Amino acid sequence: MTPACASARRARPLLGTFVEVAAYAAARPVVDAAIEEAFQALAEVHGLMSFHERPSDVSRLNREAADHPVPVHPLTYRVLEAALELHRRSAGVFDVGVAPAMEMLGLLPRDGGMEKPAETSAPGSESIELLPECRVRFRDPGIRIDLGGIAKGFAVDLAVATLRRRGIWQGLVNAGGDLAVFGPGLQTIHVRDPRDPSRLVCEVAVRGEALASTGGRFDPCRAARSGGLAVIDPRRRRPIDGIAGATVRAPSCLIADALTKVVVIAGESAITLLDHYDASALFVSRDGDVRVTSSWREAERRAA
Amino acid sequence: MSHWIRWTVPPAIIASLATPSIAMQYLSVEQAQKAVFPDATQFVIAHIVYTPAQVAAIEKQSGQKVRTRGEQVWRAQAGAQLLGFFIVDYVIGKHLVIDYAVGLLPDGRVKQVEIMEYRESYGGEVANRDWLAQFAGKTSRDRLAVDTDIRNISGATLSSQHVTEGVKRILAIYDTCLR
Repeated sequence: MTPACASARRARPLLGTFVEVAAYAAARPVVDAAIEEAFQALAEVHGLMSFHERPSDVSRLNREAADHPVPVHPLTYRVLEAALELHRRSAGVFDVGVAPAMEMLGLLPRDGGMEKPAETSAPGSESIELLPECRVRFRDPGIRIDLGGIAKGFAVDLAVATLRRRGIWQGLVNAGGDLAVFGPGLQTIHVRDPRDPSRLVCEVAVRGEALASTGGRFDPCRAARSGGLAVIDPRRRRPIDGIAGATVRAPSCLIADALTKVVVIAGESAITLLDHYDASALFVSRDGDVRVTSSWREAERRAA
Repeated sequence: MSHWIRWTVPPAIIASLATPSIAMQYLSVEQAQKAVFPDATQFVIAHIVYTPAQVAAIEKQSGQKVRTRGEQVWRAQAGAQLLGFFIVDYVIGKHLVIDYAVGLLPDGRVKQVEIMEYRESYGGEVANRDWLAQFAGKTSRDRLAVDTDIRNISGATLSSQHVTEGVKRILAIYDTCLR
């Protein structure tokens, strides 16, 4: 028996990339309304957590939180809580406080205002203080945060929750490679080769899971090659070398997104953290060596 | 406790995965019109052909080169009431063509941006004029966006900068030609 089914797939430019939302439900109006609401959720996260937009929570924190506690949206607060937990559990490898180092290296634009010199000894996430009632204070005036390594994954999770709440029984949200699927069906994901985005490194079958990749940014309008990884090793305040890109599958996209950064920085030693979050990973070295965790294989078997 | 395994990709898989050309169709013109202006009862063609002065003004305001002779514009109306402007545009580059639709409110604010079609190709085809010819008149075809030939891609993050720039040019077109 085939249930009455309507589906749609849409894409919009959001979060600096193209975000795709696909949804299956019993009736067309349900699909359309749910997709619209999912995009609104994605746009809300974009508006709150963009490093580039002046009214965003992130921009306000970077301007004011060193001077006084700044109230933020509960969603921003939730992402910061998750970011600080990841910072703690990864022994400082995951750090949303590396914006000054990224600005110095030209990976992020500097804000227009006064310049605080970015020093290699700049403070990291440990100087972010989460206060009651969704207020945030920075203990160190030198810190600036960038949620780019985690907000996209969070936005995907939020969009998925929205779709489910609106009666979608199967779907996918893909924010430029950070994605989550839900529903009974098996969905195939093609993973680009981080050394050459015109090639694929593998296909992955996923069901009810999230998958995220880090492998540089690229614009096929201009070139076939991807730029370097926009990931900073917070301990050395320098871009990482050795690993060209990583893909992580995890129960949530926030975790998958954040852990890709840990894997490209920490390499094989990320395994304990991956296990803790029930995640598995694949990474590609610059020399073409591909490694997967044993849990990646298990996840593949489970999905199939 | 998990451990790491060296992964050797079978040569046959590598061959099949090389040089993908990724094509996604999301919306036809009619579908995009309904998606952006669901309350409209009619879309009245109001295509623009630029005068040289308009080209100069658009280029000055947007900081971008105008590469077309005009723009495909529809007035979205509920009866006689203007709900906004529906504009179909594209960005084209080395390995990529994107058709997208922009809905503007009557006062020129962006209501919605929808990607209609996305094509990525790595054989030099995008720059080839014959290959481009298939896009000529693309907007008059009522092509259904069906769930075939769809790929879910992860990996290097695709920049949407070029579409953001395209929307900026469309705002300049509004100021110059539609306001």
